[in-house]
Amino acid sequence: MVSSAIAKQTLHGQRIAQGANYSMTSDEQDLDLIRRMVADDENAVRELYAAYGQRLYAYALRLTNDPAVAEDVTQDTLVTAWRTARTFRGEGRLIAWLLGIVHHGAIKTLRHTSQPLEAVEETIPETNASPEEQAQAGEMKRWVRQGLQSLSTEHRAVLELIFYQGLSLNEAAEVCKCPLGTVKSRLSYARQHLRGVLSRNEESWR
Amino acid sequence: MNHEEQVVLYAAGRLSKNERVHFEEHLAGCPGCQADLRLWQMTADEISASSSAVPAPVQLAERALERIHQPASLQAGVRRAWQLLQIQSQIIQREMWPASAAVMALGAIVALVANHVEFIYFIAPLVAAASLAILCSPEYDPALELTLSTPTSPWKVLLARLSIVSGYNLLLALAASFVLLVIVPPELLGTLILGWLGPMTFLSAVALLLSLWIGTSNAIAIAYGLWLVQYIPYRLVGAWMISPGWSSIILAYQQFWQSPTLLLLLSILLFGLALWFASRPVFRLAQGTG
Repeated sequence: MVSSAIAKQTLHGQRIAQGANYSMTSDEQDLDLIRRMVADDENAVRELYAAYGQRLYAYALRLTNDPAVAEDVTQDTLVTAWRTARTFRGEGRLIAWLLGIVHHGAIKTLRHTSQPLEAVEETIPETNASPEEQAQAGEMKRWVRQGLQSLSTEHRAVLELIFYQGLSLNEAAEVCKCPLGTVKSRLSYARQHLRGVLSRNEESWR
Repeated sequence: MNHEEQVVLYAAGRLSKNERVHFEEHLAGCPGCQADLRLWQMTADEISASSSAVPAPVQLAERALERIHQPASLQAGVRRAWQLLQIQSQIIQREMWPASAAVMALGAIVALVANHVEFIYFIAPLVAAASLAILCSPEYDPALELTLSTPTSPWKVLLARLSIVSGYNLLLALAASFVLLVIVPPELLGTLILGWLGPMTFLSAVALLLSLWIGTSNAIAIAYGLWLVQYIPYRLVGAWMISPGWSSIILAYQQFWQSPTLLLLLSILLFGLALWFASRPVFRLAQGTG
């Protein structure tokens, strides 16, 4: 049981590393990008986007759920990073700073369009899959997806930061501009919620 | 770190080798954590699969650069400034507003009762200095760290706060001066205002700059010291006088506080220094980040 968990874990770790591409950019390269932006080197913006654009856009999309808005937020993030590069103090990782700007921009946009940040939709959509397709493993994946969709933006944000962006709990708190305890309680709530969704679906599936 | 957190970090691949080995020992005998791990692994798989499938929009960096080349319009600038003022006025220490008003009101009452307008000259700079010294101090403002990590540059945040609090202090002192018209003829209102305006602005500029440099409490102590030293009774000092030049120094110092133009010019210089101080790029090389 444990060894299979570890095998899965390692596989998963590799996939994050490849997908998110953060193993390629070291702290020195990050600081170099910032210094070049401070020195008005426009190529630094292109390199910054090449290194982190996908992750920034993915996070913006996770928060806003709207590709056009996510694009605007990502673009704003590049402009803000350029204009405020000199305020980056190099105390944390560049990606956490950038994700913080994305978070701030996305939440501001959501507030303006008065989309609910905290509303949690408890209803689970009906299944359209045929009985043959309803192998439990596949179903579980679908239920997890449903569970994630019915979480609030703030809860999804924490999960995305930790499981895709590879941030520590402290960094996630920094990005969300909230105390560490809030990140922990959001994780705890997400766990309860996902568990609830899974067990309700498992009961109705039987 | 409890197991509930450990299992999340384990699933996210964020545990160190030691922590991982330790946690796996626990995991082998804990069905609850095993169930949690399955849940978090499915979640992690789902999240990373959907996020890594998202393609980064093409040409976004070029579009951002186009915007970077555009000069910011005046209207947008004014709107941003207004938003910044609104946000900052909500964040500034709440206790500051009633506290400053109360001390200034007390000053006006004492001046009225004692029939001494000088009391308002005495109190206004003290109120202003204290309120500006707490403006940028993490000990008095837990939201400051957050404010400074937002995209607005720190010097703009400082300028916004400075404007709000100085405007408020100015209004309080003006209100107190109008109250004092009960004991002062109206034609002396200008003289009355000039009496506190210079010292108030200069002392608050000193307090602000010092607070950025050596912390709020020290800044208040030094600013108050600078202000109060001119009120030491001359005859008392005379008793301890070491050199005969001492009295002329005291006299020059008192006159300095009574020269509004000089004080206002120096204040502008000090406020500029404080803003520069807040805007300095600080590059501390990232060592052991993560």
